[in-house]
Amino acid sequence: MADSPSFRRHPLASSIDLVRWLPSSATSHSGRLLAAAVHDPSLAPATSSIHLLSLTEPGNPLASLPLPSRATALRCSPAVLAASTFSGSLHLLPSSFDSDAAVAISGGARFHVGPVRGLDCGGEEWVTAGEDGRVHVIGGGADGRVVATRVWDGKGMSGYEAARWASPAEFATGGAGCGVQWWDRRKGHAVVAQCNGIWGRGIVTGMVHSVDIHPSRKHICVVGGSSGTIFAWDLRWPQQPIALSGIGLNGMYEPVCESEVWEVLFDTYTQSSDIISSASARILPVMMCSEDGILAIVEQDERPLELLAEACAINSIDIDPQNPSDVVCALEWESIGVLARGRETMAEE
Amino acid sequence: MPGMPTDGGGAIVPFRGEPGLRPPPPPVRPIHHGVAPPMFRIYVSWSSGNLLQVACLRPPNSEGGGGAKEVAGSVVEVNLGGGGSGGSEFEEKIDEAEMRRIEYGSVPAFALLQSRKNALADAAAMPRSPSVPDHAEWWQYVLEYSKTIGNLLGNVDYPVAFMLDDPKAILKVREKPTSLRAAWELLEIFYVDKQLQGWLPERLVDWLADFDSLLSATGSTVYSKLSNFQKKLINLQIVEDDPDYWNVLSAALSVGWLDIVVNMLRFHGSYQLDQMDNRETENGLVEAVVVLVSTMPRMRPNSPTGKLGQCCKTRPDFIKAWEKWRGQVTKLECSAFWIQCGHQKTRDGLKNLLRIMLGNIKDLTAATSHWLELFASHFLYIKPFTMGFEGMHHLAQKCTQLKPPSGTNGLTGLFIGVLSENPEVVLAECTNNFGPWLVTHAMELLTADNDYADIMLHEERPNLGGISIEELHRLVYAQVLCSHSLTWQIAPTYLSSCQNQGLGLLEILLLKQPIQDNRLVLKTLEICRLYELENVSTKIMKVAGIYHWKHGRKGSGVYWFQQAHDKVHLDRIAQLLFERIGKSVTDDSFKQWEGLLELLGPDIGSAGGLEFLHRYRDFKLSLQQALDRRSGEAARKTVDFLMQLMRNPSTPQRFWLPLLHDSVELLNCKPNPLMDVAETTLLLNKLQELSMAKLRPDFSSNHLPSHALSSVKLALASSLAHAILDDP
Repeated sequence: MADSPSFRRHPLASSIDLVRWLPSSATSHSGRLLAAAVHDPSLAPATSSIHLLSLTEPGNPLASLPLPSRATALRCSPAVLAASTFSGSLHLLPSSFDSDAAVAISGGARFHVGPVRGLDCGGEEWVTAGEDGRVHVIGGGADGRVVATRVWDGKGMSGYEAARWASPAEFATGGAGCGVQWWDRRKGHAVVAQCNGIWGRGIVTGMVHSVDIHPSRKHICVVGGSSGTIFAWDLRWPQQPIALSGIGLNGMYEPVCESEVWEVLFDTYTQSSDIISSASARILPVMMCSEDGILAIVEQDERPLELLAEACAINSIDIDPQNPSDVVCALEWESIGVLARGRETMAEE
Repeated sequence: MPGMPTDGGGAIVPFRGEPGLRPPPPPVRPIHHGVAPPMFRIYVSWSSGNLLQVACLRPPNSEGGGGAKEVAGSVVEVNLGGGGSGGSEFEEKIDEAEMRRIEYGSVPAFALLQSRKNALADAAAMPRSPSVPDHAEWWQYVLEYSKTIGNLLGNVDYPVAFMLDDPKAILKVREKPTSLRAAWELLEIFYVDKQLQGWLPERLVDWLADFDSLLSATGSTVYSKLSNFQKKLINLQIVEDDPDYWNVLSAALSVGWLDIVVNMLRFHGSYQLDQMDNRETENGLVEAVVVLVSTMPRMRPNSPTGKLGQCCKTRPDFIKAWEKWRGQVTKLECSAFWIQCGHQKTRDGLKNLLRIMLGNIKDLTAATSHWLELFASHFLYIKPFTMGFEGMHHLAQKCTQLKPPSGTNGLTGLFIGVLSENPEVVLAECTNNFGPWLVTHAMELLTADNDYADIMLHEERPNLGGISIEELHRLVYAQVLCSHSLTWQIAPTYLSSCQNQGLGLLEILLLKQPIQDNRLVLKTLEICRLYELENVSTKIMKVAGIYHWKHGRKGSGVYWFQQAHDKVHLDRIAQLLFERIGKSVTDDSFKQWEGLLELLGPDIGSAGGLEFLHRYRDFKLSLQQALDRRSGEAARKTVDFLMQLMRNPSTPQRFWLPLLHDSVELLNCKPNPLMDVAETTLLLNKLQELSMAKLRPDFSSNHLPSHALSSVKLALASSLAHAILDDP
């Protein structure tokens, strides 16, 4: 690293669980905006909400949407911001943060019971996967209402912690002990491939916290989970997951962290160090954040590049899709951090 | 604690105060538990933080009131927080979120200092290592720590926002200083910063300049005089006619705020262009005083930009400059120009300023308000050299006699405590006025270079249960952190630095954390991993496993039990699952078990009795294939699975008949027999064993049709017949 990427912390007076960039097209006049899932247990009944924050002054939320319980997942599509909660509800609102237009599907027997951590937007439809083992696809009905279709009910036999669309017909889920599943809606809403993953420290199974799929390589999932494990799963070789980091997994380099990997994202900003062969089967660079405060880029057969080593956990990260050099992260100690990576880092070989 | 509740008007336990004292009435909190009156048991236990959990139970099997649906018991959470807990003074000034920010920020600095301390102790324990130079640098580590924490408390040097300088502004708008920061800086000045020890008086003068506003709460100060005059200034036409103008000037000069004095002197009417000609001499005198004030020698290495006065680093330099400057002041005082000065108030006011500069004790006493201001003025104009703690303490006593304190302020108490060289008093003042955060962190400052404090704070005391004062305060602070769901995660840093009771409390803290949320459980487990508390993490995983299992998330439950290597619970779960499977064995819903079986993973050994489920699944899948395809190979494979199941001792007996019943169709495949004689005999033996077991009382019947047994017998018999015929 030629220059240290500039990093700023903004203290907020409550716990920040998740943070996302909002597409700036929807908000042209007010600068760049962030959405953050906020939880404040210090008030008599603990309150949870989604805040709309401006990048220049994140201390004062521009708008806020109250949630019935703590947010467990937060995603945004170009037009819609969605949050799911600990009590199993889903909340959709326009990116313009018009709270009057917010739509909610409340948790319960007809939707999800318990935390919904898997949430993703694929074009027109949303997928939710909960710890109760249910998977729903949510889309607009004929009369303009939001309709949730149950794709699968695991009846609690397996629980899901993450979900990601690959194409309008396929998505991946991951969970506690059950590894990663590949679902195909064309084949009767069923799991068509399954991978138990590879876990370090001699553990046969671990918990998946996050799954990401690169838009240009829809057959590869990158998965982050417990004990510092990050692996890639290529559908073409479903029985051979590729270890990217983990204790005792890749002997060449020290694992980037030993604790929970909360989120993984394909990093579109960091170019693969092996440019010539990047069209090959090599896994593209992946950004990760962890419980022990590490924000790093991991690459197959490369030494991990540590961007931040915070004293507290980094619970959530997001790369700005429009300015991929900018990363926002939610820090355990009631603050958000904004990392602006310089151009020099990219130019380096 | 007695289990039976008493009739106390809603109170659960009657409260009797101490007979001698008259305590404030205890707060009574009515609890809405919704359980009908005959109460059997009440359990009260602390949850995390200020939450109290109260469980109210009715007697079991009580006469159920005509079968109406009655609540047998309930658990209520009572939040005892929010009632002005500590009552310490600073908490009202620093809001909770800001205090949490300080708490978070001080963790890395504290941890770094502790690890350095441990490294030094380790190095000292090794005989050959040259630990002496390291030890000499210890105070520099503490200074670095002190600066880091000082920065967290807010920086008083920077203005709040960029704003245009108002020429009429006397006091600069700055970040409001907090008494927490003032206390911290005071301790740093006295106990840590050795480099600047020689310039201690000037540092105290600076400290007072930064925090004088805090003293205004209990009485008049120079700061309050200035801010009052600032408000008045807008309406004043001719400032020099106002007696307050001169009062404020002498006050500001007495505590050495030279730039304010010079700025204010320039408000003098004689500077105005239209009056220049008439008041030339007067203006000359004012300007002469301005020059003298701005060239006042100060015994300090440097001064912040924008501050006036000439700095002298060494004592000889200072004495030389001081003598020269005093000579100039005296010369001006005796000057003949005063007679030509027509403005009475200007003449008196300026002369007063000169007398202050010459160190006239009467004028200094008149000009200052608070005894600390008088104390500082002594350093500036009477005794500019360091005089040692004893001398300063005498001086402070003299000043308090001249200006009796109008009220108590934590800072002045701390000040006296420091000067009296009494760490006990310092500690007590910190505890009473600034709360556990400051005490815990300031302990490092007190012991940085003070052997007495070091021994006093680290000595293990039997009256404290064998812990030292330092550990006691750390434990208290850790308890404060534990009581908030946002800060409990930083408490382990402090608990782990407590040798005697820290780890025990840490275990309790970790076991008390809620287990409903998998992410929070993982955060707790991460702390267990860092402190190598494997037994605690196993317990937490088991509790989480039971919670998820009870709430229908069987997969999560099994996952946690597996992580905890809890064979006992996995076996019990296996029994429960068999009962469920036994009922639904003929259904298609078996597909739902797939996920759970995947969860069990390839290493079935870790799954305890659930191993059977794996084989059972394999058998079912294979059977399905065999029946669909009608291929001999698949059928043979299915029989292999069946034989494995029947031979394996972990296959529960109650599954024997269902397994055989499932295979009847397969056994009846005519073309060629699938089993040899030995295999068939084994199955028949099992069937025999089963019919014997039927007579035992603990036999659990299955839900197969009544003819199941006979059809199995028939199929086995014909299979045996075929096998015997085929046997060569």
